[in-house]
Amino acid sequence: MPGIVIFVVLLVLVAATLFAGVKTVPQGQEWLVERLGKYHATLKPGLNFIIPYIDAVAYRVSTKGDVLAVGAQEVITKDNAVIITNAVAFIKVVDPIKAVYEIQNYEIAIQNLVMTSLRAIIGQMDLNNALSEREQIKAKLQDGIAKEVATWGIYVQSVEIQDIKPSPSMQQAMEQQASADRFKQATILEAEGKREAMIREAEGKLEAAKREAEAQIRLAEASAKAIGDISAAIRDRDLPAVFLLGDRYINTLQKIAQSPNAKMVVLPADLPAAIRGILGKP
Amino acid sequence: MHVEWWYWIVLGFVLIGAELVVPSFTIIWFGLGAVMVGAVFALWRGFPLAGQLCLWTVASVSFTILWFKYLKPKSATGAGQAKESIVGETGMMIQGVATPFERGTVKFPVSLLGADEWRCYADTPLQTGDRVRVLDIQGQILKVAKL
Repeated sequence: MPGIVIFVVLLVLVAATLFAGVKTVPQGQEWLVERLGKYHATLKPGLNFIIPYIDAVAYRVSTKGDVLAVGAQEVITKDNAVIITNAVAFIKVVDPIKAVYEIQNYEIAIQNLVMTSLRAIIGQMDLNNALSEREQIKAKLQDGIAKEVATWGIYVQSVEIQDIKPSPSMQQAMEQQASADRFKQATILEAEGKREAMIREAEGKLEAAKREAEAQIRLAEASAKAIGDISAAIRDRDLPAVFLLGDRYINTLQKIAQSPNAKMVVLPADLPAAIRGILGKP
Repeated sequence: MHVEWWYWIVLGFVLIGAELVVPSFTIIWFGLGAVMVGAVFALWRGFPLAGQLCLWTVASVSFTILWFKYLKPKSATGAGQAKESIVGETGMMIQGVATPFERGTVKFPVSLLGADEWRCYADTPLQTGDRVRVLDIQGQILKVAKL
């Protein structure tokens, strides 16, 4: 009886040991085996054997590509604008040993590395560049994290920037700036219109004044010529002229006397002398 | 303890069935070994118990060894594995390296892991135009050797 019990227990123990020693690794994974706490071997996909009791599968690492979401964060650009950006990183474990032993948690590490690198890269750019130069940011980002990820046995296939957008307050400021720009343009155009109108008006006045002056000159010339003609005509025969002038003078005095606001009309005592004086005759 | 020939056959079938519960591809060989012992015992009724156990052990271990040594299929693809999809690939240097401390550039006819041009280094100097084989991948950089 004890023999049978021992045999059955031994059989169960042998079967359990056999099962524990056989490991079937699925495609897309690699398992790390530790022997008494130290790394011993990497199990590839398919059927593998380990020695139970001293070997243990310590880590099961997925070697398929993975997508890491890098959360949204506020970044300050070179010209002190705040923008909100997030990204996704496509990564693949190429060295499971490093990925497990060189870093506590490579996913968190890469997420943080991408975040800080993104902040540093955008911090060296102006707002307008940051919003338009996505490809440049991507290339710099991959260069920036290459050394670290190599240490952790990770290959970063690509880092894609999902969103780059100004913060709500920045967006409002940008809209205000755009509207102010339009308003400024409109005001400038209006002012230019007024200026143009004033210039044209002034040019008109100038032209009018020039013509007016020319007309005055012509008039003066005509008067001078008329006076010259009259002077020439009455050179030695001043009597008819004196008579004509006196006649007109008296007519004018009459008209003045008849006007309703004339209270007094003073006539020169010596009318012929006065007329002679007017004519410049001694 | 008297052992009948069909005990072995039953044990064999149970072990082969156990393979379905615990897929390891080892128990099945012990099952086949047991079926073989049952068949031999059925033909030769005077087969001693020690001989039966001995035959079972030898047959099972032989089947297992044969399977793993000669019949085990090679991995059909390295897809999804750490280095298999790139180590061993051949490319051409488009920027040579003079020392092991320099970084060159190797170009592959098809895209590997999303890129057809990789930065690389090598232990020996390489000229532009040399054909190289990938030995290892270290993050974003490959280690290559001249073919």
